[in-house]
Amino acid sequence: MEFLQRLFIDPFNRFLDNLLLFLPNFLTALVILLVGLLLGALLKMAVVRLFRAVGIDGLCERTGMSQMLCKSGIREPLSLLLAKLAGGITVAVFAVIAVQTISVPAVERLLERFFLYLPNVFVALIILFVGYLLSNFLSRAALIASVNAGVRLSGLVGRFVRYVILIMSFTMALEHLGIGSETVIIAFTIVFSGVVLAFALAFGLGGRDVARDYLERKLKGAEREEEEDKLTHL
Amino acid sequence: MEEEIIVRKEVQDWLELVGSADLLVGIPSFNNAGTIGHVVRAVQAGLAKYFPDCKAVLVNSDGGSTDGTRDVVENSAIDDFQQILVAQRVPSFFKTATLYSGIPGKGSAFRTIFEIAEALQVKACAVVDSDLRSITPEWIELLIKPVYEGGFDYVAPLYQRHKFDGTITNSIIYPLTRALYGRSVRQPIGGDFGFSGRLAGHYLSQDVWESDVARFGIDIWMTTTALAGNFRVCQSFLGAKIHDAKDPGADLSAMLYQVVSAAFDMMERYYDTWSKIEGATKVPIFGFEYAVGLEPVSVNLERMMERFSLGVQELLDIWRIFLPPETIDFLCRAARRKGDDFRFPDEEWVTIIYHFALAQHDRLLAKEHLLKSLTPLYIGKVASFVMEMRDSTSTEVEERLAGLCREFEKQKPLLLEKWR
Repeated sequence: MEFLQRLFIDPFNRFLDNLLLFLPNFLTALVILLVGLLLGALLKMAVVRLFRAVGIDGLCERTGMSQMLCKSGIREPLSLLLAKLAGGITVAVFAVIAVQTISVPAVERLLERFFLYLPNVFVALIILFVGYLLSNFLSRAALIASVNAGVRLSGLVGRFVRYVILIMSFTMALEHLGIGSETVIIAFTIVFSGVVLAFALAFGLGGRDVARDYLERKLKGAEREEEEDKLTHL
Repeated sequence: MEEEIIVRKEVQDWLELVGSADLLVGIPSFNNAGTIGHVVRAVQAGLAKYFPDCKAVLVNSDGGSTDGTRDVVENSAIDDFQQILVAQRVPSFFKTATLYSGIPGKGSAFRTIFEIAEALQVKACAVVDSDLRSITPEWIELLIKPVYEGGFDYVAPLYQRHKFDGTITNSIIYPLTRALYGRSVRQPIGGDFGFSGRLAGHYLSQDVWESDVARFGIDIWMTTTALAGNFRVCQSFLGAKIHDAKDPGADLSAMLYQVVSAAFDMMERYYDTWSKIEGATKVPIFGFEYAVGLEPVSVNLERMMERFSLGVQELLDIWRIFLPPETIDFLCRAARRKGDDFRFPDEEWVTIIYHFALAQHDRLLAKEHLLKSLTPLYIGKVASFVMEMRDSTSTEVEERLAGLCREFEKQKPLLLEKWR
């Protein structure tokens, strides 16, 4: 009987005691989470109405931001996106409070590390987003400029500008996250130098004549062989 | 707010010396030492010959020339007045060469001229380019007299030009301005204008001096402002316009961008005016029209076609954002055509221009990207025009342009419908 007491009943009683201690915290956490979900939904509705009343979607249309978001796969209006973000943050804050209420040390430690790391993730995401926008803008500018200059490989120029900026922003984001920062920078340097060297060799060996003609025109002001248009546009 | 030029000490001193004037002729310049002397002498002769009783000033508004342009202006004068059939030197003629401030460009140079005109309370003004080789004293009479004696506020130039000259004017600015504002001003961006002191004051009061108006956009802005503001507008036939050739291909896309951007900006500003206008009426013409021999214009059609095809190949994704699918199909087909088969019909061209205007209005793309992407299409249209009109006379070319104007007018309701 004593054997059974030690083997089953005592552990079960301890479990019951712990459960009785844990359950109120768990229920409180559940209530907090539910309140968070409710508040998140309410806040989302309120923020949507507020931004729509302010006319932020129209502003986005006019400034070309909607189109930019659409091109990156986001088809929802900005008012809804911001509302979702506000609602999401509210739910996340309440979820954190709920988890802390449960008072499980292992979960608390994990949570603490996660939240300490979270700002880095945000900054990295911002770097990627800005890099994406910048790559779109500058690659388009480079493409149009090279088409207007009559460069036959204009598409390549545009893509080159886009990928260089994307790779740079990706490298910066990874560095910020602390993921193999040195390796990434070294790899980037090697790849970038390789590309530049390849271009230099291609231009130097393949385009010697073009380079010579170009330099002659620029430095000596040599006459252009090609028949020049004499149109007056204005 | 940019510093006004008239607050400068040396300009103030000069203005105090002059006091007031009846007439003002402005010459914007930048490194034009080779040609500006002739322009200054022509202006002085014109003022002496046709306005001997008026107090006149000549203002050279310079952009910081390093070739001695301002010295040439100061030292240029008519030595022998009898040679130009004027009995005696005109006593009331003042001259100054000053540096303008603000964004480097023709518009900023004009702003200085307007400021001086307002300060001197002149009755009539004219502006002429500093690179002109064909200017005669009669130009001054033709640009100023309709204002000074005829009661007009704005005199646009009318030139005898080669049929392939002034292609931005012919293919975009002239027909667009005519369709929008209902007045047939043949050279809205001619560069040499006459205007009243009242209009100069009106120009000066506009807040545009930090925009593209300060650069190439000034000409279309002046004409449009006069048309939309219900000022009395006329044209004067000046003969041939021969001037120092600029490098034509060097900054075509920047030039096209600034001019078209200014024209589209005017559409925003004067929507209430142009949206109510239908058809077009003639504008009075002064001067004796005559034919002149013009230098042939060489055009490298093959290269133009290449530029157009390259544009279609690379920029189609950008154009897809705002051009109708039928226009995109047309462009793809046109880019495949070679040689004399290539045609760019007016209907498609007008659709393109109106959709570019709508895209700028709706801000679908960065303005500079949008309008600079027009360059290959413009080159394609010019190439087609040159091919079509290769063997035509100037009269036939004018008839052809009248057809283009009608197409702009025909599609205007569609533009209005889509303009939100």
